[in-house]
Amino acid sequence: MLRALDLLYKAAGAIAALSILGISLLVTAQVSLNILARIGGPELSYTIPSYADFAGYFLATATFMALAYTLRAGGHIRVNLVVQVMPPRARWVFEVLALSLGTAVAGCATWFSVGLIRESIAFGDMSYGIVAIPLWMPQTSMVTGLGLLTVALLHTLAEALIAGQPILKDAGSE
Amino acid sequence: MSDPLIFGILLTLLLSLLAGGVWVALALFTMAFVAITAFSTAPAGLVLATTIWGHSHSWPLAALPLFIFMGEILLRSRLSQDMFSGLAPWLGRAPGGLLHVNILGCAIFAAVSGSSAATAATIGRMTVPELKRRGYPQDLVLGTLAGSATLGLLIPPSIILIVYGVATEQSIARLFVAGVLPGIMLVALFAGYVAVRAWMNPALIPREDARPTLGEKLRASRRLLPVMALICGVIGSIYTGVASPTDAAAIGVVLSVALALAMGGFGRAQFTDALMAATRTSCMIAFILLGAAFLSIAMGFTGIPRNLAAWIGTFDLSPYALLAVLTVFFVVLGCFLDGISVVVLTTSIILPMVEAVGIDPLWFGIYLVLVVEMSQITPPVGFNLFVIQGLTGINILRVARAALPFFLLLMLGALLITIFPAIVTWLPNAMGN
Repeated sequence: MLRALDLLYKAAGAIAALSILGISLLVTAQVSLNILARIGGPELSYTIPSYADFAGYFLATATFMALAYTLRAGGHIRVNLVVQVMPPRARWVFEVLALSLGTAVAGCATWFSVGLIRESIAFGDMSYGIVAIPLWMPQTSMVTGLGLLTVALLHTLAEALIAGQPILKDAGSE
Repeated sequence: MSDPLIFGILLTLLLSLLAGGVWVALALFTMAFVAITAFSTAPAGLVLATTIWGHSHSWPLAALPLFIFMGEILLRSRLSQDMFSGLAPWLGRAPGGLLHVNILGCAIFAAVSGSSAATAATIGRMTVPELKRRGYPQDLVLGTLAGSATLGLLIPPSIILIVYGVATEQSIARLFVAGVLPGIMLVALFAGYVAVRAWMNPALIPREDARPTLGEKLRASRRLLPVMALICGVIGSIYTGVASPTDAAAIGVVLSVALALAMGGFGRAQFTDALMAATRTSCMIAFILLGAAFLSIAMGFTGIPRNLAAWIGTFDLSPYALLAVLTVFFVVLGCFLDGISVVVLTTSIILPMVEAVGIDPLWFGIYLVLVVEMSQITPPVGFNLFVIQGLTGINILRVARAALPFFLLLMLGALLITIFPAIVTWLPNAMGN
């Protein structure tokens, strides 16, 4: 069950990575079209409809879907200076407190973003621009990503409680 | 309660959360939540949801993952291995000799990677053993490395300038361009310092006897030249307005993949590695930015930054006095926090104050980054110091002592751009508007 969760975070991370590739390809395609227009004159000028909006939605997907995966990989930064010099027991207590607070905050954020998406559906909000899409579609990544982060924090909290020591190894942070 | 008192309480809360090991982004969310529920009447939940959604999908911010991705790709290419052999033939006979490889290598790599810890680690891994073997003095080897690696924050494309630009709604293109001259100035200051040291004590620097011909020099650096062309292309296209930073970043990704493939030693595994590393770093930074955006809005509802600015205004500080106070504050803060967190805290709370005394936010961005650079090489939490300690096994305090002259040079740089603000503003003002 817990192994399955880790796979889930990784799968979401993969979706995030694909979104970054998506931004690269989308923007490169548009820049190539710009170059074509510059060489070939105005009759060869094409614009990918709403490409800036879609790049933005890819970015949101990349950020939110990677939240849980980045947490488990120790990629989110925090200050270790004080905690590091504490005795192991105190360090564990602080880790549990940090994880509990994190779960609460992420849970809140998930809850309120569900509220936002429900409003978007209820009012039929559409994105601006040439290609208008219902806003709930890109917003799904926000709800899913924040939800997964909440689960990952809770998961890590449970592991830390069972192990009696901090679980996460922070990657070399900057 | 008076606003300075409330501000003091909130700041204490934030610093305790951070010291307790709460993730930076989550600590910002918590502080914002407390500020908005306790000290304003705005609906916290609604503001939270609309703010993080509104700030998560902006076009300028899309440059962030792309520039990180480009850096990660080049980091895994053969570029880093070729940096020493490519630069050494050109610099061997300069006063100070191959120490300049550290400085220029860091400057070039900084332009590529935008991260100072990565720059210190990558350049140091090649140059430190090599320079030691040739008998260069340890203090200068470590000092040039620690100091020059901080250039990663300033020389475009700089991740931290994207963060500042997005958080303050400044044009990222103009910020990038504004960073060019101060970056060059710092390189010149560092190189000048090494040259003066070599000139004062010629016995300090080992002699390089090899006198390569121009052809040999060019052959040695044949793999560096395309990368430098790529960087100049990215900055040039932004400067001339042909491409927005996001456009330039996307092309940068494609070209750096092509370059890495052409150099060899770069395959599917490295590509996936680079992509996943970029995904994590970009997510980490974007999450902090979302927390900072929520904090800015929350603080706006409480009215604290505005009142704080007015309160500071009653002291009748000159811009210089305010800058001096802020610089001390940043250097202290920077001892405990990483650069990005210092920048987002500044933008969400202190910027109204800065604008109130008439300081140009574009100029202030560059100034802030310079001060953050200083904090990268001050103990106890200078990331570059940690990296170099990890790399060489030399005690962090010794590294810090070796880096001290470069800390002072950075300070001189900050002083110079304060006295001559045109160093920052001239290029962006000359841009095609």
